[in-house]
Amino acid sequence: MKRIVGRFLEWTVLILITALAAVVVVGVIFRKAGAALVWYDEVASILLAWLTYYGAALAALKRAHISVPTFIERLQGRIRVGVILAAKSVVITFFVVVAWAGWRVTQALGELTLVSLPSVSAAVAQSVIPIGAALFIVAELINLRDVLATVPSNPPRTDTKASQL
Amino acid sequence: MTFLLLFLGLLVLIAGSVPIAVALGMVALVAMFSTGGISSLPNLALVLFDGATSFPLIAIPLFILAGAIMNATGISRRLIAFASALVGFIRGGLAMVSISASLFFAEISGSAVADVAALGSILIPAMKKRGYETPFAAAVMSSSATLAVIIPPSIPMIIYGVMADASVVELFVAGIIPGIVGGLLLMFVAWLYARRHDFPVEGVFKRAQVWTTFRDAGWALLLPAIILGGIFSGWVTATEGAGLAVVAALLIGGLVYRELDLRQLREAMLEGGIQTAVVMLLVATSALLGDYLTEQQLPQRVASGIMGFTDSRWMILALLNVFFLVIGLFLHSAAAIILVVPIVMPLVRATGIDPVHFGLIVTLNLGIGQQTPPVASVLVTACSVAKADIWEVSKVNLRFVAVLVAVLLLVTYLPAIPMSLVNLLYR
Repeated sequence: MKRIVGRFLEWTVLILITALAAVVVVGVIFRKAGAALVWYDEVASILLAWLTYYGAALAALKRAHISVPTFIERLQGRIRVGVILAAKSVVITFFVVVAWAGWRVTQALGELTLVSLPSVSAAVAQSVIPIGAALFIVAELINLRDVLATVPSNPPRTDTKASQL
Repeated sequence: MTFLLLFLGLLVLIAGSVPIAVALGMVALVAMFSTGGISSLPNLALVLFDGATSFPLIAIPLFILAGAIMNATGISRRLIAFASALVGFIRGGLAMVSISASLFFAEISGSAVADVAALGSILIPAMKKRGYETPFAAAVMSSSATLAVIIPPSIPMIIYGVMADASVVELFVAGIIPGIVGGLLLMFVAWLYARRHDFPVEGVFKRAQVWTTFRDAGWALLLPAIILGGIFSGWVTATEGAGLAVVAALLIGGLVYRELDLRQLREAMLEGGIQTAVVMLLVATSALLGDYLTEQQLPQRVASGIMGFTDSRWMILALLNVFFLVIGLFLHSAAAIILVVPIVMPLVRATGIDPVHFGLIVTLNLGIGQQTPPVASVLVTACSVAKADIWEVSKVNLRFVAVLVAVLLLVTYLPAIPMSLVNLLYR
């Protein structure tokens, strides 16, 4: 499961970052040639948002988001497991709300289209919020086991180990 | 009272190992829900989307990508060889190499964490092998990478430019002189330490070797000159310059050095994509909390509160410096800029402080925050590369942090240091 989701997210991120670099470079060339592309700014900005949320799910899968583990590393056994589970619930709750809110927004956008590209629906651009949030939740659930595996199963009785962390 | 509760909630979540980006978002969510009820929540999705669609911020993934490609094509190795030929003969030569290579590398990637990861993985083991103490090796790498955030291009400066509506190009130019002064001061402090601990030198100075390594690294050195030249002269915007940097990195890596294989390119792009997403998620969720704070009129309250207390520009700069140093202890720089800059900007403008000057103060200040635990992404990266204890490294790092604070004070109270080049070129 982790491999399939990982592969999907990796390819999505690769395609998005390539497209973003290509759009910016093509945009510069056309502008310098005196034929500026009207859709260049808007499309590049949307690609950045897509890269942000698909990439954020991939970063969640690889546990690359910035956090401060210093304090929980000093906790042991069940307390540490409890704090980890509580932290995970906060993350999942946040993205459940974001997914719901994002879905409501895409519904509300209806027939609206992008300003510079009238053939593209605004809801398609916004869809990254509910989809990205759902993928983030999936990534968090997949790596839950890996995170719990970092908790030592037989905590030492003395405090020496904790003080080294 | 509400603001204090929000701040406490944020600290509890961060201490409980919730990713900082999510902690910021969650606090904003609770605040929005408690004031506006469930009907305010769809706004959450709109702000999260808009927060990630700012055109100037596109420069971030592109600079990160250019740095990742250059790193995958042996640029770090060439820069290190050139720096080694140039300054390796000084006592503590590898520390000098670390500082100077870090400042060069910063001209491509714009990210302090990328800087440490790329150069530290080569130089920290090299220093350990030559008998340098591990905490010193990690500290010198970490602090020089932080100084590099004020050398253009710089991701925090791009974010600040967007939030404060200041010229990113002027911010880049303002960082040049303080960056060089800081680099020389860091080298001096490292030299004192090296002399006391009798660290080795790396051979004698040979002009022929400087020339050979310079020729080999020439393209790598030329790249930032062309890109930054294009941006500074106004030929391209910062974002467009970043796009050209990607193309140039691919051409130099693939055609000139011929060291770019597809597997490495794929890894470099993924690494760049992930780093971008990590920063951009912070940007978007900070925007969420920032919007709430602005709606509650916090910027106006802060401005009138402080102006009622003092209207001396120097006093206000001192207060803001202390404030940013404290914020930097707990927040990542991207989050801190998005949250705090809009709050203090009315105050900054009212006291007549130049937004570009203030931008450099903020960037350097939050850079120092990346050296001070608990939230210290650059220091943590250096420690994980060096496999060293963060507190041991922090002890040695104190002297380098003192240098960074000295540069901060110079920049704050001698505006001519950052601003003379800006005034000369653009005003």
